[in-house]
Amino acid sequence: MENKNNWEPKIVAFLCNWCSYAGADLAGVSRTQYPSNIRVIRVPCSGRVNPFYIIKALQNGIDGVLVSGCHPGDCHYISGNLIARRKFALLKSFLEYIGIEPGRVQFSWVSAAEGGRFAQIIEKVTGEVKKLGPIKKMVKEF
Amino acid sequence: MESSKLKIIKKRDVLKFLDSIKKEYDIFVPMEKNSGIRFSRFNLEKDIPWNYRNAKISPKEIFFPKTETLFSFEAGTSIISDGGKTFTSVNEPKDSFPETKDYLIFGIRPCDAQAYSLLDKLFGGDDFQDPYYLEKRKKTTIISLACNKPQSTCFCTSLKGRPDNEEGADIILFDLDEDILAKPITKKGEKFIENLNSWFKEAKEADIEKKNKLMDLSLKKIRSGVDLQHIKEKLDKTFDISLWNEIHQKCLGCGICTYLCPTCYCFNITDEMDHEAGVLATSRGKRIRCWDSCMFPLFTLHASGHNPRPTYKERMRQRIMHKFNYCPENFEEIFCIGCGRCIRNCPVNIDLRETLVLLMSFQSLGKNKKN
Amino acid sequence: MIEKIKEIVKKLFKENKIDIFIGYGEGTLPLRATPCFITGQDDIKKLVWNSYCLNNLAVYLSGFFLPQLKKKDVKLPRIGILAKGCDGRSIVGLIKEHQIPRENLYIIGINCEGMIDIEKTQNAVCKMQEIEIVSAEEKSGKVLLEDEDNKKTELKKEELLADVCKDCQYTAPLIYDVLIGEEKRKTKEKERAAFIKEFEKKPLEERWKYFQEQVSKCIRCYACRQACPNCYCKECFADQTKPKWIGATDDISDIMFFQIGRILHQAGRCVDCGACVRACPMGIDLRIFTYKLIEDVKEFFGYEVGISLEETPPLATFKQDDKQEFITEP
Repeated sequence: MENKNNWEPKIVAFLCNWCSYAGADLAGVSRTQYPSNIRVIRVPCSGRVNPFYIIKALQNGIDGVLVSGCHPGDCHYISGNLIARRKFALLKSFLEYIGIEPGRVQFSWVSAAEGGRFAQIIEKVTGEVKKLGPIKKMVKEF
Repeated sequence: MESSKLKIIKKRDVLKFLDSIKKEYDIFVPMEKNSGIRFSRFNLEKDIPWNYRNAKISPKEIFFPKTETLFSFEAGTSIISDGGKTFTSVNEPKDSFPETKDYLIFGIRPCDAQAYSLLDKLFGGDDFQDPYYLEKRKKTTIISLACNKPQSTCFCTSLKGRPDNEEGADIILFDLDEDILAKPITKKGEKFIENLNSWFKEAKEADIEKKNKLMDLSLKKIRSGVDLQHIKEKLDKTFDISLWNEIHQKCLGCGICTYLCPTCYCFNITDEMDHEAGVLATSRGKRIRCWDSCMFPLFTLHASGHNPRPTYKERMRQRIMHKFNYCPENFEEIFCIGCGRCIRNCPVNIDLRETLVLLMSFQSLGKNKKN
Repeated sequence: MIEKIKEIVKKLFKENKIDIFIGYGEGTLPLRATPCFITGQDDIKKLVWNSYCLNNLAVYLSGFFLPQLKKKDVKLPRIGILAKGCDGRSIVGLIKEHQIPRENLYIIGINCEGMIDIEKTQNAVCKMQEIEIVSAEEKSGKVLLEDEDNKKTELKKEELLADVCKDCQYTAPLIYDVLIGEEKRKTKEKERAAFIKEFEKKPLEERWKYFQEQVSKCIRCYACRQACPNCYCKECFADQTKPKWIGATDDISDIMFFQIGRILHQAGRCVDCGACVRACPMGIDLRIFTYKLIEDVKEFFGYEVGISLEETPPLATFKQDDKQEFITEP
């Protein structure tokens, strides 16, 4: 419905409370500019993110999903992100296999001190999702 | 004389015939799909599979679809106040029976047509009239196709059926190889043929002879049967017997038998909201009716968490009692037509005929040895 | 083979080592065998063993050991079970997930030479089942079929094997109490993953189209879920109302969610027994999706499902050097 030139993707970002969310906070405090397409959902750990949340988001018309956690080894809960790494590897591979564009669902590691890195990752993800266009697959028609 | 009403149409003309009336009728025919035969809207490109045995999913889905929107709603933005209560106005339910063409179901098997007359008792009975089912049902003409070759799992003759059963259909067709013999059954059927008389010609004695011979052969082919006399009374006494412990053991609880069955009718009603809802002022939603199954975990689950039918023993018993005891009690009809779909498609080969034979032959060890 | 099975079962009942035995009995339709539950020596004659014994019997096991039945004074049943290779792998998975206690099981392992696929056989005789097969007899690697028009067809059993049997790596269970036949391993590793590799080469849109096509056949009867030994959850996500993951509509997005969801829940657990494919009444090609996860788990984590009782399940552990090429870097 919106003009293709004006269309802005909606991206949901699951950020882990201890690292990525703090990193996003730092980016904000430092007045770093980055695209405002993301809607942040704070989770205690990236391992908390159920793959179903990601699929549900796509079903509801969200154009892209980002899940961001602590760097391996830095998890506040010791191994949450390490188990998550395995889960997400399988999920990403499977979603691409069935035909969902790989750029729509992405994962990253951002630490609490990496405000600038966070902004860069958002730039990258938003750019990729914007190029892919509005999501049509998996969307539930009313 | 009855035979003067019988007409003939050439098999090769049938597609053109259906094509000529597709403006007046929404036509449903059996169609080859990669998952089996299924009833779908008529398509001139696809021939009628005249030798088909039966559709995988019963054609109950034409009147009673797997999911059906009962109505949709959209909350308005004005607030109405009434005696201290406030509520948002709801627009008139949309989708109230748009004007559509009449339906024509072509090529259904006599057993499935009989199933419609059973479902009519439920959805159109004295107690409650289901408008969604009836609205489609009353504008439908049913043309059934008699069976030349019943399958080994067909046991319709045990349940008031036969390969040329006329119940539930308006016209019955007989496949005489190159010709199709059409016999009108109801006034609706007679009128239908009258209006389209130019496509038909009078049936000759030879055609009728051929049809009778085919039906004799066909009837003889049904070898599988269960004596179901007084099954309702029998089941009245067998609710607590230990036989049920053995019957259910193999059951996986998948919903296949109930979904494919022409007379299973359990359904769920649920509301679904548009995914943009959550924004208070513009909530859109719809109320949906969808198929349920007595085998599903949520069936008869109480809000407390208790389920009076916790294992598949109670559920299998429920299914058989429902079809062969409760429905005869409520509608004076056994809700089974002997099509054999549940037998052919059960992943663990639970055979309803076997189960019924076991139940019928159960001898109570009490003082009254009533059969 | 069947005599050996009957002998062992007879002994087990005589020595009072089991309360119930799960095997296969004769089916009521040609080309079918059916699961058979035996509680005493009198019923042993019902047992059969042939190329129609395709059901995965492990699916019944978790039902005997439900948590609510594990009360202190209730004695848990001792179950004997006839296990082919695939059933054995399922049993290993269930033991690992603490659904069934190993001590309560007596596993008669049997080397399986593959089971006949009913759809394939029907289609070989006549498409769309327009002509029914009324009898089937197997003899020395061949299957003799007779249809209702009395026409006889002889086919090689090899050609009629289910796809999942053709790809089988472990034809006998690796955990057992007694083994009938020899443990044979087919080493066709390359062929095994071939159909996945083929599919992966196709362009993205084509894969999506195929996925949609297959999934649109689904009528949500949940036969796949019920037939799968791994799907033993007390409340399946598909039935949950808080939160409501799946709607009740026919919308393909809902059906896709169910299929993707169920398959994802099998990650690291699916043993490729083919029970889901066989149970599906609509003939959906599920294996092409479930198998992808099996291959991924093998490739990423070096874990093969259903082989060892000691190895930790892949999603319950981690390695420091797990691959992370998929992680987005700025």
